[in-house]
Amino acid sequence: MRHYEVVFLVHPDQSEQVPAMIERYRTLIEGGKGAIHRLEDWGRRQLAYSINKVHKAHYVLMNIECSLETLRELEAAFKFNDAVLRSLVIKRDAAVTTPSLLVKEKEEGAKPVAAEESPLSDDAPAEPAEPIEERPAEMAKE
Amino acid sequence: MSSRFFRRKKYCRFTAEKIAEVDYKDLAILKTFVTETGRIIPCRNTGTKARFQRQLGRAIKYARFLALIPYCDSH
Repeated sequence: MRHYEVVFLVHPDQSEQVPAMIERYRTLIEGGKGAIHRLEDWGRRQLAYSINKVHKAHYVLMNIECSLETLRELEAAFKFNDAVLRSLVIKRDAAVTTPSLLVKEKEEGAKPVAAEESPLSDDAPAEPAEPIEERPAEMAKE
Repeated sequence: MSSRFFRRKKYCRFTAEKIAEVDYKDLAILKTFVTETGRIIPCRNTGTKARFQRQLGRAIKYARFLALIPYCDSH
């Protein structure tokens, strides 16, 4: 059993299927005596560049502990699912359970830099303005 | 070069802030180590320690793959 960090990007049109997909992967992992230590749904985010001509994707992060066979099955499931645009698997040394920065950013409803005037809405519907705002700010800095 | 201009001393941000490992999800940090055209800034310019520069390169490449940060400015 090893620890892995898995991120996958789902096509925005298939966004409603994400909970079902997560449930399917959960049964797959737990059926192989593995465990999910952290599960995060970053929601629909603007992509930095378009992938397969889509500009947004639904991101899901999972920190899992599973055997190699289970991981192979999971990777195959990603590969043959047309809704998954892209997936990344990284080996980890230990189970990570602390919430990641991106999910915090989403909960704040704004980028963390502008935290002063942020706590108005918890779940703003996948704001497209956010990454567009970020870029000129960064350019101005440099 | 060193005598005429005031130059701020370079220091490794990860050592200074006691960051154990560079996280590819921490976009605020990653963006400070990338030029506006999307290139990774060399450690000779930023003063990052070699160990963290390697981690940083890896983290930036993961973040690029996941379309969290762009590969270049002309996508």
